[in-house]
Amino acid sequence: MEKKSLWAFGTREVVYSAIGAALYAVLSVATNFLQIPAAANVSVRPAVAIPMFFGLAFGPWVGFLAGFVGNIISDLISGYGFWLWWDIGNGLMGLIPGLIYLSITDFRSISNIVKAEIMVIVGAAVGMFVAALSEIWVSGVTFATTMATNFLPAFISNVVNGLILVPILMIAYGAIQARSGR
Amino acid sequence: MLVSFSYHDRHSLVEKIDPRARWIFSILVMFAITLFWDIRILLFFLALTMGQYYLARLTWKETRRAWTFIFFIMSTMVVVNTLITSAGTIGEVMQGGHPIYEFTIPIFGWSLNFTLTVERLWFALTQIVRILSISALFLVIPFTMDPRQYGATFRGMGLPDRLAYSLDLAFRFVPTLSRDFQITLDAQRARGYEVEKLEGGLISQIRKMAPLVVPVTMNAILSGEDITNAMDLRCFGLHRRTWIQQLHYHWPDYLVIGLGVFLLAASIWLKWQGYGEFWVPDWLIS
Repeated sequence: MEKKSLWAFGTREVVYSAIGAALYAVLSVATNFLQIPAAANVSVRPAVAIPMFFGLAFGPWVGFLAGFVGNIISDLISGYGFWLWWDIGNGLMGLIPGLIYLSITDFRSISNIVKAEIMVIVGAAVGMFVAALSEIWVSGVTFATTMATNFLPAFISNVVNGLILVPILMIAYGAIQARSGR
Repeated sequence: MLVSFSYHDRHSLVEKIDPRARWIFSILVMFAITLFWDIRILLFFLALTMGQYYLARLTWKETRRAWTFIFFIMSTMVVVNTLITSAGTIGEVMQGGHPIYEFTIPIFGWSLNFTLTVERLWFALTQIVRILSISALFLVIPFTMDPRQYGATFRGMGLPDRLAYSLDLAFRFVPTLSRDFQITLDAQRARGYEVEKLEGGLISQIRKMAPLVVPVTMNAILSGEDITNAMDLRCFGLHRRTWIQQLHYHWPDYLVIGLGVFLLAASIWLKWQGYGEFWVPDWLIS
């Protein structure tokens, strides 16, 4: 399919946003039972690679909705309630890698993978920073507290997962594209 | 079943209210709560949100996990905030105050003076009440709102058709994808993939998730093409959509929205009049 506009939201985007969100939710909940014991109490959520990858493959809106809606649904399934600012943070984590969506044509080229990895780091940093900042407003904690207890654990865990799994997903998607002529 | 929603019909009063009215009410009340640092006003809001929780007929068994999560996050934030980074976004809490306990920690030749004041402790308590009120406000939503209604609800609240439809579709994909995940997990286990025994460091453990994550994702992407084609063939997005789930406002819904608007307006008025700033009872500091 011909890639046209960065911010287009047609049928294809509607479907892939929904698939991305559902995948993010299902994989987050499903890998809960796998609880990887990581250093410093960071809960590892491999599923964060999904919104990042969907942003890269289908554009910023799809990435945003996959993260935003996916986080809402996974919280609904786990019964954790509704945390609007963390949902927005997760959305940004998918939106920012999506900004280079138009420039990626070959998902298996090294230069594209490197570009994607940089966007994964920026996305995780901005997304979690926005979410952590809102804790100052809501919970009335200091900047240092929210950085130490909210931003750093979430950022490190998300960035590690993204950096490892996004390239694997890109290479697999590249193979599918090449085989099916998409 | 691996993944299921926490919703089931409880015949509670809260469920009878239109979901749009409940979202509007919850968001208005959240903004009202965030205006205050006076524990007396915050206790009123805590009573209000716990009232909603009670009316939702939730049991401890159902919500235990969510409460544990909230208490864990809250206590880390409050403890770090009170003890380490010295309380609060409000200047008056950090400066001066009435000391209860003082100690000095020597670190590499420096000495770190720490003073726990009445104000700091009271601020921590106020913070707990504030976080609990907001948590209780939104905690009831997953248990008492039918997932089938989310699309229609957000459409009714002014979201564009395509976005609302995407939200609706996402909820409907969840059972299918969770089944796909289970099938992939079983298939990989049959090939000797040991999900319970992921060895190695953090990085190699995450890398070993690929045999689960990649097939499920690629399968979903391939089936997405078929769904897109099917929707295009049915002229999706050409006209305004109609929804199977119809929502209608009744008088109690207007009452709930009215209450939300009143609470926020009253809160803004109180704040404007100078009430609601951080407050410590006189008997504590006299």
